Order: sequence, then structure tokens, then C-alpha cells
Amino acid sequence: MIRYVLRRLVLAIPTLFGIVVIVFVLVHLAPGTPVSGGGEALRRPTGRAAEELRRLYGLDRPIPERFGAWVSRAVRFDLGESFVDRRPVGERIREALPHTLLLNGVALILALVIAVPLGVVAGGHPEGALDRVSGVALFALYSTPTFWMALLLQSLFSVQLGWLPLYGVASDPAPSGLAGLVDRLAHVALPATCLAYGTLAFVARLVRSGIAETREADYVLAARARGASRRRALWTHAFPNAILPLLTLFGLLLPALLSGSVIVERIFAWPGLGRLFFDSILARDYPVILGLSLLSAVATLGATLVSDIASAAADPRVRDGTAT
Amino acid sequence: MRRAWAAFTVLVLAAACRGRSEAPSARADVARSGTPLSSSTPTRDAAAESTPVAVDGGTLQRRLLGEPTSLNAVLQTSLPEAQVLQYVQRNLFDFDAALGLVPGLAASMQVSPDGREYVVTLRPEAVWEDGKPVTAADAVFTIRKIADPGIPAPVFQSLYDGLERVEALDIRRFRTVFREAYAFREMAFVMPVLPAHRFEGRDFRKAPDNRAPLSSGPYRVAAWKSGESVELARNPAYWGPRGHFDRIVLRIAPDNTTAYRMLLAGDLDEDQMDATLKARAESEPRFSDCCRLVEFYTLDWSYVALNNRSPFFEDARVRRALTMLSDRAAAARDLYRGSARVISGPWAPDSPAYDASLPPLPFDPAAAKALLAEAGWRDSDGDGTLDRDGRKFAFDLTVPAGFETGRQVSEMLAAELAHAGVTARVRTLEWAAFIERVDAGEFEAASLAWSAVDPNPDPYPYWHSSQCPPHGLNNGCYRNPEADRLMEEARRELDPSKRTALFHRLQRIFRDDAPAIFLVNSTQKFGFDRAVRGVTTSPLGLSGIWPGPVGWFMQPTPRASNAHGLVQRRPA
Repeated sequence: MIRYVLRRLVLAIPTLFGIVVIVFVLVHLAPGTPVSGGGEALRRPTGRAAEELRRLYGLDRPIPERFGAWVSRAVRFDLGESFVDRRPVGERIREALPHTLLLNGVALILALVIAVPLGVVAGGHPEGALDRVSGVALFALYSTPTFWMALLLQSLFSVQLGWLPLYGVASDPAPSGLAGLVDRLAHVALPATCLAYGTLAFVARLVRSGIAETREADYVLAARARGASRRRALWTHAFPNAILPLLTLFGLLLPALLSGSVIVERIFAWPGLGRLFFDSILARDYPVILGLSLLSAVATLGATLVSDIASAAADPRVRDGTAT
Repeated sequence: MRRAWAAFTVLVLAAACRGRSEAPSARADVARSGTPLSSSTPTRDAAAESTPVAVDGGTLQRRLLGEPTSLNAVLQTSLPEAQVLQYVQRNLFDFDAALGLVPGLAASMQVSPDGREYVVTLRPEAVWEDGKPVTAADAVFTIRKIADPGIPAPVFQSLYDGLERVEALDIRRFRTVFREAYAFREMAFVMPVLPAHRFEGRDFRKAPDNRAPLSSGPYRVAAWKSGESVELARNPAYWGPRGHFDRIVLRIAPDNTTAYRMLLAGDLDEDQMDATLKARAESEPRFSDCCRLVEFYTLDWSYVALNNRSPFFEDARVRRALTMLSDRAAAARDLYRGSARVISGPWAPDSPAYDASLPPLPFDPAAAKALLAEAGWRDSDGDGTLDRDGRKFAFDLTVPAGFETGRQVSEMLAAELAHAGVTARVRTLEWAAFIERVDAGEFEAASLAWSAVDPNPDPYPYWHSSQCPPHGLNNGCYRNPEADRLMEEARRELDPSKRTALFHRLQRIFRDDAPAIFLVNSTQKFGFDRAVRGVTTSPLGLSGIWPGPVGWFMQPTPRASNAHGLVQRRPA
């Protein structure tokens, strides 16, 4: 087992390196330069000033040399400085990260809490009324564009009813103690809902099809034959087996915790990673783009590794590589 | 609207301003803004006209479109920085609402007879937040930083292009010497001053002051929550007249619809709107219950740049024909919903360089087709598209992503050109990629808009033949020896009325030569909480003038009725 983990860890290094190389090259080959600034620039440097700026940013040096310099700093956990405000990239990411973690964490929990029971119940009676209705509803939900849903939710809950705040992460000034917590949750409710419903629809259908398959399996029938109730057969015998593909899926869902949503963060004025990433791309702020890409690559690889190790722990065939 | 790089016109009292000291408040009060809109689009600022006596206190909540990058005034690049810094850092001189220069940190300015040397005298009472005086050494330090090619100071750098030297004469006076006289040189002194003592021994680009600047203005930065807001409080050491608000919160709200809803909910007192939201505001009682529209013309204008080096556009007759095929009045009416005026040259009508008596080229498809035929473009193979020497008249019209009106105007133009047998393929490009091509002169036609950062009308950097890409801003590489000569003369002419005459001659050449398709000058639109008073509009917008937003205040008590006969909401 330890050998398996070590092997996977060692293999992750070239994968990470490959991702970084691709991102680095893509970012630098994309048209436009940091010198042209964002679209909101009052005046853009031109002529000699633009050339000086290129030199200042090190853009006059060849890409391999820039890449070498970046990697040698990155391995020492130094992601460089933002071109935009000359602050360390790590600091800018640290500022936005908690907001995105909170938003995406709440969204993921919300999605799972609703999706799993819904999927199990729907899968318990395939083609039943609930299954059919929820199937259509979830499909419609999955197809609803986020920006539209966001504006709709704002319009209903913030403007018409006035129940929930329109924007931001907390009131200004923010209340303290329990009231502060309630305030934070009220602020996160709408954007989290926007992020949750797509995942919810997806996960619910996945659980549903898993359950629908396993409920016919021999061990479930055997459990029923031994006198287990219908509910017990479903939750204790079918569900744990149906959930296995979900664990793999989890490896893919977790990194999403770190990747902000541009649209939702923009509409709800949420100062998260999505907005930072988007603004950095517009401004061609290479160090920040690379820092965020690295973060997301590490998260993806890490989560995949964890879910693979979990599968290996559960299934010896995965460990010795005999699994099909 | 894209903030492109621009710098345009106006009445600089070039000679008149020199060496004169005026109380800023006196000047600003006279200058209640720029330009009233035409009768078809009445100004919505009626409430501000009946301005009552200013009241102190309260909190003002303004909108920022994005996160400010740096609060180091020299390093500022975009509007959010300018909006915050206006409260925090005084300039040597400022533009007032009528675009004249008014003293700020400086008391006066003397110019040598040859127009190369400027001696600026600072106000004796001007101090920093820490009580230290604002000195000539600070100004010299700032100008040297601006002129330093290793410092990215895009907003100010070009103003100091011909700098020969700058030196302090004593604690209050400094001399700036330029290599040559320039008609609009005074505008170089519409610039901030940084406290030299705070940057000693520090990396200029990373000093702590860039996040928390030492104030020389009526407010200081009390808090900056990344991605959320910037909060300002009064600067107790401020040497000038106090601002009216106790506290100013600038909230970062990138999304237009959310910002509009924040205005209605009382989370913003001011919000810049696009044409769509303005139309919505006009029809919603919820808006008129709490808020009012303020709409005014600025110096911004839009055009379609044509690459004069391309075989399609090297002939002035063809360029003129393209302008005449474009129904600009219909675009102003239908796409800008009436909030735009057709222009006949590269200035906005509120620029003194602009000759309002010179009508734009008419919309006349028949005459345009005749011009195209005269230039050799005919449909010789009968396929519906004009051709000449075996080449079809078909080109790419590039539009930057996010410039929605520009895209609509381009689609409309493409449809109009198609009727005349000219194919324009509208292509959208992301901004940085778009502007890189435009700067390099690698385009056929491109939809662009200028935003005025200052009122400098000098067309030389944008239309003189010496300024063709890749090193200049004459993107379409327009070349006309007569226009070149007039532009050279105008930037040397120190007499404003003679200069205006030169600009008017230039405008006629620009119109008839049509180096680009000049389109329209449009308005800026803002929603204001009804309680906010003292709002001054200007051709430079709400910011960028003095006192501008610093002169706003909150009318604290609701009145039974106001100019609109509506109930006023009590400010939060």
C-alpha cells in the first residue's frame, strides 16, 4: 500500500510539471500583453514607455528563460509579484481564497444534502412518479444558465421579498457573534444556491442510476429475502455500493472548491478567486494567472490522488493494477 | 464603455491661466457644468439645479467598477484609482467643470516668454496628513518618478515627454524646463504630488503608501477591503475647505444590474448606468421614488478606424463613401436611444477645437455609390459585391469584446455597406488581443471609442503622419501633408483663438478626407439617490474635475416635494 502511494506521488510530479508547462506556454502565446493593460486603462503606455515596461516585466527575455526563473521561484513557494499592483501573488490569493472556499463549500454541502436523498428515493422506484417528475425537473435545472438564475434569485429574494442580501460577503458594518454568523450565512445563501443547483442535478441523477442498478443486485434481493425492510435494503445494502462511483466523482468535485465562478462572483460582488482569475486574464497578469493555475492543478491532482488511494484501500485489484 | 487611451480637447486658457491664482471654490461654483443636452434629451439633473445650502455629515456610497490597483497616484492606471484618489491626493492644478485650470496644491505658475520654463509656487498652507508641509522637493521627486522610464506611470508619462530638467528653487517653488514650447503644456501640471519622505529607501513600486497613501486632500483611506470596498474618513489635517460627508464608502460592484439594484436598495447613492438600464430606470416607479437620472455629454466619441494603408481605404473617396453609407443619425436614435450626437471630426462637440457649424458628411447612399464607382469599385462580375482589379471589396471590421454599442453599430454599418455591395465581416476580439493589433496597425477596420482623460485637443499624436504604427497612435496611418502642417502649427500656437481657427481648418480636412468613419459623441448616465446634491457634471465626467464629487453633499431632511413633485427618501 505504501509503495502504491509513493508510486502515485512520484507520478504526480511529471503530471504537475506538464500542466505548468502547458499553462505557461499558453499564457505567453495568447495575443495581448500585460503592457496593453485591461480594457479600463485610462491611458496605455506606448512607444518607449511600453518597451521599458516590457523590460521591467521581463517580457524581453526568451520564454524558456522566463519559465526557468518562474519554476525556480515556485519550488521555493514564491509565486512572484502581480504585474498589476506589485503585491506578492500568494498574498492576493490568500485574500480571495477564504471567500471562495466558504461559497463553494456551502454550495457543495447544499448540493449533496439535497441530491443524495433525492437520488436514493428516486432510484428506489425507477419510473415512479417521483423519479419521473424529479428527472424532468433536474434536467431543467441542469440546463438553466447560472447568470439568469442569479438575477432571478436576486430579483425575488432581495428585491421583491427583501429576505436576503443582494450582494457581498457580509453587512457593512458586520454584526458580531451569532448575529455575524447569521449575516454571513444570509449573504452566502443566494450565490451558493446558484453554484449548487447544477451539481445537485448532476449528483442526484448519478445516485439515482446507481441505486436503480444495485437495487436489483443479488445481495439486495438476498437482504430482502432475509427479511430486511425495503428501506433497510435500500439504505444499508444498495446505497453503500451505489455510492462508490460518487467517491470517484468527489475527486473531481473537490478541486472545484478552489476554482471560483466568474459569473456568480461578479453578479454577487463576491471577492473570490473567480473574479481574481478573470481580472488577471483581462490584464494579462501572468504571475497571478500562473499562481492560480498551479493552485488548481495541485488541488486536482491532490484530490485525484486521495480518491485513488481511497479506492486502492477499498479494492485490492486497484492496488496491484489488475483492475479493469 | 471601454476606456481607451485618450486625451482630447478644449479650452485651455493656455495663456490666460498663467501666473494667476484663483480660489478653487469660486471657480468651481460658477462652472455648473458643461453642456446642457439638446431639447430632445432634457437634462435629468433638475434637482441639482435648485441646489440648497450645503449640509455637512452623512455617508456617501459610490460605485467602483473594479478593484483599484494601486493608490500611488503616479502608478494609477484606471478609473477606480482616480475615483478614490480624487478625495485623498490633491493635484498641483485641476480642471474645473468648464475645463479651465484651477490651482490645487499650487498657488500659481509663471511661464518664461519662450514657453519652455515653468516656475510653480506651492501654497504655504498645504500639508500632508502627518503635518509635514508639501514642499517643492516633493513635487520634484514626483515629476522625476513620472519621467523615469522604469516607473510605469501611463497616465502622466506622456505629459513629460519633452522634459529637460526639474529643480527645486526653494521650499515652495520649483522650476520645470522642457525642450520646447507646447500649446497644451500647462496640462502637465494637472498631476498629483507624492510625499518624498515616505518613499525614502523604499522600492517606489512596492511602498506601503501604495496601499495606504498619506493624504494631502480632504479625506484619507480608513480601510481597504480587497475586492469589496474602500472606505474614506476625513483627513483632520486637511488645509482646505472641509468635504461635506463624514465618511465615504466606495463599493466594488462590477455588474451593472447588481449595481442598479444596490442603488434602489440604498446600498449605493451613485451608479453609472448603460443605455439599457437607463431605459429601465425611466420606466420604473421604484427608480423615480428614490432616485434621479443625471445625464450629460462628455468629450468621449466613437469611430471606426480605417487602415489607410490597406488597398481598400487608401483612397479618400472610398473612405468618404463609407461614411456616407453609414446612417449615423439612425444609430444615434435607435442604438444610443437618442443620447448621442453625430460628429464631423475627431473631437466631441463640447471641445473648443470642434466647429459646430461644420455639418457631418450626409447619409447619402446614392452619392456614396457614385464615389465608389469613381474610385474604380464596380460590380464587374455581377455577384453583388464590388470589385476592382480582381479584388473583392470585403474586409474585417474588428470589435473589442464587451463594447456592446460598438458591436451593434458595426452590425448596422455592415448591413448598410452590404446594400452598396461592400462586405464588412464583423469580428469580435478580446480587448488585449484587439488593442495589440490596433496598436500594431494590423487591422483593416476597427470599432473604437475615445474617453477623455483631459481636455487636450491636440490631434498630432493620433493623426500626424509621423505617428504611424508601430510606434505611434495614428493607428490607421492617416497621411496628409496639409493636415500635418496644420497640426504642427497648432501645437506651437500659443494664442487660443488662432489655435481654434487652425483646428477648425483641420476639422474640415478630417471630415472630407475621412481618415476614419467618425460616428457619434454620446452621454454618460448616472443614477443618483435624490438626497445627493451639489452634483456637478462636466465634459470630463463626474470625476476628473475639481471640486467635482468633493463638492457633493446629502440633503438630510425629506421634503414634502422637490423639483419632481415626488416624495424624497431619507438617506440611510
